[in-house]
Amino acid sequence: MADVATATTASRSNHGIPAGHGPVTRPNMTAVGTMVWLSSELMFFAGLFAMYFTIRAVAPNLWAERTAELNVPYAAANTLVLVISSVWCQLGVFKAEAGIPSRTGKLLQVGSWGMREWYVLTYIFGSIFVAGQVLEYSEMFSAGISLDSDAYGSMFYLTTGFHGLHVTAGLIAFLLIIGRTFTSKKYTHHQATGAIVTSYYWHFVDVVWIALFATIYLLK
Amino acid sequence: MKTEAKLFVFIGLFAVTMAVIYGIFTAQSPQGLEPVGLVALILTAGLGIMCGFFFWWTGRKTDLRPDDDPDGDIAAIEGDYGFFSPHSWWPLFLGAACGLVMFGAAVGWWLVILAMPLLVLAVIGWTFEYFKGEDAI
Repeated sequence: MADVATATTASRSNHGIPAGHGPVTRPNMTAVGTMVWLSSELMFFAGLFAMYFTIRAVAPNLWAERTAELNVPYAAANTLVLVISSVWCQLGVFKAEAGIPSRTGKLLQVGSWGMREWYVLTYIFGSIFVAGQVLEYSEMFSAGISLDSDAYGSMFYLTTGFHGLHVTAGLIAFLLIIGRTFTSKKYTHHQATGAIVTSYYWHFVDVVWIALFATIYLLK
Repeated sequence: MKTEAKLFVFIGLFAVTMAVIYGIFTAQSPQGLEPVGLVALILTAGLGIMCGFFFWWTGRKTDLRPDDDPDGDIAAIEGDYGFFSPHSWWPLFLGAACGLVMFGAAVGWWLVILAMPLLVLAVIGWTFEYFKGEDAI
């Protein structure tokens, strides 16, 4: 026990309780911690929104000129892709909660899919979103809007860019969560917890994007 | 979890109230509505309500804890809280790799490219440490 630094050891003291989940009567610490962290992430995005409204308030003419370059229907379609990916993610969570890591039937039998298949689908939709963002960046760039072109460019690339980085981090998290189901012999409660908190993050990033989309593309 | 939920919802409601007052007062000022503080206050409300709602929702799914009992004893909350890594080198490696990437962003992008594989290695090592084979937690 000499190398044990924390209150609880790697071995289980109570075999009735799955490791990594605590007693059933206690809230899941990982989930609570993730939500508290996400609320601080909200403050990070509050800074970005505040930046948007400050620059908009001091440079209304720039806004009128630059927002004409935005391709609203294209961004709306991209937004829809991200929102749908959240639905697939939630279906994967239901499977994770039921303890089904992978499909029980054939690949085309969608009803038999496990967490892994739904998360792969979420990953694909998320990557389409990021790819769509990159394409939009290239169009904005060819219209002469870059990070250092003017205040609008700074605002546009910083807000959407930081969000895009969050989505990319979420995609990496999905890969790690999917990877764990391959390296472990059994699907444990701890793995399901990982899958669930990753979905919290994904839904959060999705909701933030809806707010960013409404601010940048609809409100202008 | 009722106490925690109430505490955070209170933060949220306080921020909403302040946002309304702030909005009304700045709208009447000569400079017009000030959006930055308004956005910050509304999202602070989001911070409180998001946590508060989650705690309420979690509390509904779990039994009452010893913490919820006003006459509860400290000893009642003993037991297994979950899995904690007894020791691991990965967080140190991960932190060093992140530090190198950030350092690279400050001094030159070539260092970021060199540090990235280290970061990838550290992230994989860290997340997979206890999820291998039969011993997976």
